[in-house]
Amino acid sequence: MILLKFCLILFVVNSLTIGGGYVMLPVLHKEFVEKYHWLTNQEFLDAIAVGQITPGPLTVMNAVIGYKIAGLIGAVLAMISSYMPCIIIVTLVCKYYFLYKESVIVHSSFKGIKPAVIGLLAAVAIPLGTTSIVDLITFGIAILSFTAIAFTKIDPTFVIVGAGVLGALFL
Amino acid sequence: MKNVPLRNIFLVFLKIGTFAFGGVYSMLTFFERELVEKRKWLTHDEYIDSVAVGQMTPGPPIVNTGICIGYNLKQLRGAIVTTIGQAFTGTVLAILLAIFYIKTKGNVLIGSIMKGIGAAVVGLLLSIVYKMAKNTVRDYKTAVFAITAFFALAVFKLNPIGLILASGILGFVVFRRTTE
Repeated sequence: MILLKFCLILFVVNSLTIGGGYVMLPVLHKEFVEKYHWLTNQEFLDAIAVGQITPGPLTVMNAVIGYKIAGLIGAVLAMISSYMPCIIIVTLVCKYYFLYKESVIVHSSFKGIKPAVIGLLAAVAIPLGTTSIVDLITFGIAILSFTAIAFTKIDPTFVIVGAGVLGALFL
Repeated sequence: MKNVPLRNIFLVFLKIGTFAFGGVYSMLTFFERELVEKRKWLTHDEYIDSVAVGQMTPGPPIVNTGICIGYNLKQLRGAIVTTIGQAFTGTVLAILLAIFYIKTKGNVLIGSIMKGIGAAVVGLLLSIVYKMAKNTVRDYKTAVFAITAFFALAVFKLNPIGLILASGILGFVVFRRTTE
């Protein structure tokens, strides 16, 4: 039953998240951490980190969450439910590309969704930040990571590995 | 579009998914070099259309670009094969890391490493917010959408799925005329 609910949430989230993997985080946090308590804030952050350091899209973090909830079958089902909506929607859009491309409904709705998800993402950083930023060192790591990714071309993978090293040395 | 065997499609996307480090833009360049220039499976224009589809559909844009290319090459079978190819390596590694993570729970050193990483992930999220906002929030209307969504979730704890749907409907109402 948990597994069914889990898959359904992933299916819905992946049908709605326009503009990249990060957009799904506010929804996943709300459902998995706050509503069902399947994960703690720290575990959610760890899953994001795994999604970030592995090749491919952030979506693989769902495999980590699925594994935590139900083992291997959970991980596999997580990936199927995450990618199924993509396959369905993208093949339909490819087929009717020119209709879709000209669609005022699609474009004007996206214009509203895109800024809104930025606000949602900023909001989800608050509970995650209060969990992980607990002293001067963690605060420093967060600032360093923000600066490195926002203002330089350093790959986030290296930032996360670097933060792990700093954690091992100072925390 | 050329007639390419399904197995070759799978192998190329497996390669792409395995070396897919370094963000969206480096990935898109990698795609173009591999599929357009080297293998000539599709033309530059077909590629640009696939990238556009990837960006305006829900889910990870890179995977969706791949699905679109796969679909154009071999219909639904192509779409499924490109998805599995792209997701395979990352998923296997993620599962291995998850097993390792659960096994080492309670280990002090791993705990410290994960604390450092957790703080970095928060910085990463804020930098993504910053970058996305720089590209998307361009006038007072888009700013109102972003700020309203922020407070609706942070303060009023409204459901994010509902908020995304609502922002889509309001987007249609507000931006309908300027989009035509």
